[in-house]
Amino acid sequence: MRPVYLHGSAVSTTWRDASRSLTDLIFDCVSAALREAGLRAADLGAIVLAAHDLVDGRGLTSMVTAPAAAAYLRDETRLGDDGALAFVLGDARVRSGSVDTCLVAAWGRASEGPVDEISHALFDPFTARPLALTEIAVSGLRAARCLGDYPGYDRCRGAAAARRGARPADPARTPAAAWPLRAAELPVWADVVAATVLSSSPGPVRVAGVGMSTEPYDLGDRDLTGLPALRAASAQALAAGGAHAAGVDILELDGLTLFDEALAAEAVGAVARGEGMALLASGDRVNPGGGYAAGYCAPAMGLVRIAGAAARLCEAATARTTALATGSSVVAAQVQAAVLLEGA
Amino acid sequence: MEESAGENAPPLIIEPRATEPRATEPRATEPLTIDGHWAFDYTYFAGAAASRFFAELAARRIMGSRCPQCERVLVPARGFCDACFVETTDWVQVSPHGTLETFTILTTSFPGLPEPPLVVGYVALEGASTAVLNFVDGIDLTDPDAAGAVLLRRPRVTARFTGACEGRITDFVFTLDDPA
Repeated sequence: MRPVYLHGSAVSTTWRDASRSLTDLIFDCVSAALREAGLRAADLGAIVLAAHDLVDGRGLTSMVTAPAAAAYLRDETRLGDDGALAFVLGDARVRSGSVDTCLVAAWGRASEGPVDEISHALFDPFTARPLALTEIAVSGLRAARCLGDYPGYDRCRGAAAARRGARPADPARTPAAAWPLRAAELPVWADVVAATVLSSSPGPVRVAGVGMSTEPYDLGDRDLTGLPALRAASAQALAAGGAHAAGVDILELDGLTLFDEALAAEAVGAVARGEGMALLASGDRVNPGGGYAAGYCAPAMGLVRIAGAAARLCEAATARTTALATGSSVVAAQVQAAVLLEGA
Repeated sequence: MEESAGENAPPLIIEPRATEPRATEPRATEPLTIDGHWAFDYTYFAGAAASRFFAELAARRIMGSRCPQCERVLVPARGFCDACFVETTDWVQVSPHGTLETFTILTTSFPGLPEPPLVVGYVALEGASTAVLNFVDGIDLTDPDAAGAVLLRRPRVTARFTGACEGRITDFVFTLDDPA
């Protein structure tokens, strides 16, 4: 197995920019990642894409969008899953020696479609859709359980949300609430594209470990606050890199809402169960760029978190500094991926 | 163009395109948008286990299926245990009584569904190893915080079949055993 390095990354977060099509947004972001990596499209050995037909409103969306991600006449794989899982697959392509360089890109354009209706359509037509379930509703279910189990969540939620800064006034960018979630705890919908470039050549950030795991589909069969798939995925990534969660310097954790981020902090082992909200309220170790409130659209967010972790590592400019980034898939974070990065 | 969501949001890496078009490009073109709509009809096949589960609901019984390996009773009944990856065997009727494990108050409106606000929650029924989702009826939602405070105490609930049961998950709702 060869070492894998992250050479370039880019994130584009916009809203309803009528001057650019979805393919324009992808082309621009992928171009920026390639520029940062000092590579051209012709240098890429493989491309892995994460996109979702329902979000894009296009059947087999990557047929339309893949050429904008430099896939023309190249080895390309398409996932209908989160960008962090695409990153894990890209890492495997390079680590195994099948290619020397791999571009990973993911996107979602919330401004083009009805996010709540799309989210509702993702759920089981027999047992969940008739009960009006959406992704936000699942976050509401998790949040209520947290408030019942952990007194610290209610005590710290205001301070934690306040750290995420001002929100856009446009009501189209905030989903309908699901009690107990408050407006400041809900995602800010955005048009998001992320791209990263992986290579076997030494670069500024090394991929030290990756992990993936899947929970049952049925939410009634899940530990809604324990996030066992994220626990398993992060444990795999940390073990592969010989690291422990307590020693990881930087955390970039995907979560649809404030409560989901707090639970993710617990699941990766950064704090004990029940302490996640206090961690978010107390400092900038997790998602200082704003996380869920800085612009959200599945399935791009895991790759956004990885790009954010890489950027923070480069800012730190200290060898051996570590960062853990995670990504969670629809539906209801059933599939989780974790990536451990290290300043090279 | 709005470029970032919050004041802590990372700066855009992608620069907006130059406003002046090149000489070969048309000038001052209004950005084009078109409306789109997806409306397809699907026929979903429930399969044997779920078909029986819903038929039992029409007969006002909530049934689970037992995993022969871990012995969990899975509700709604299903054909296999995904934890053990074996087929389920026995069918077990579970109690209509249980505990509200968690819930949320929905405010999103969907065509064909009851108008919000709605309470939906997961209930652990006696005799079941998993929780089952359904509406929780009869809650005064005039003050959502007050209603939520009551429901956070994990009250006892009972599944009540309403109207003409037709073999759907909506054949029953949960109601609080002690509405006060």
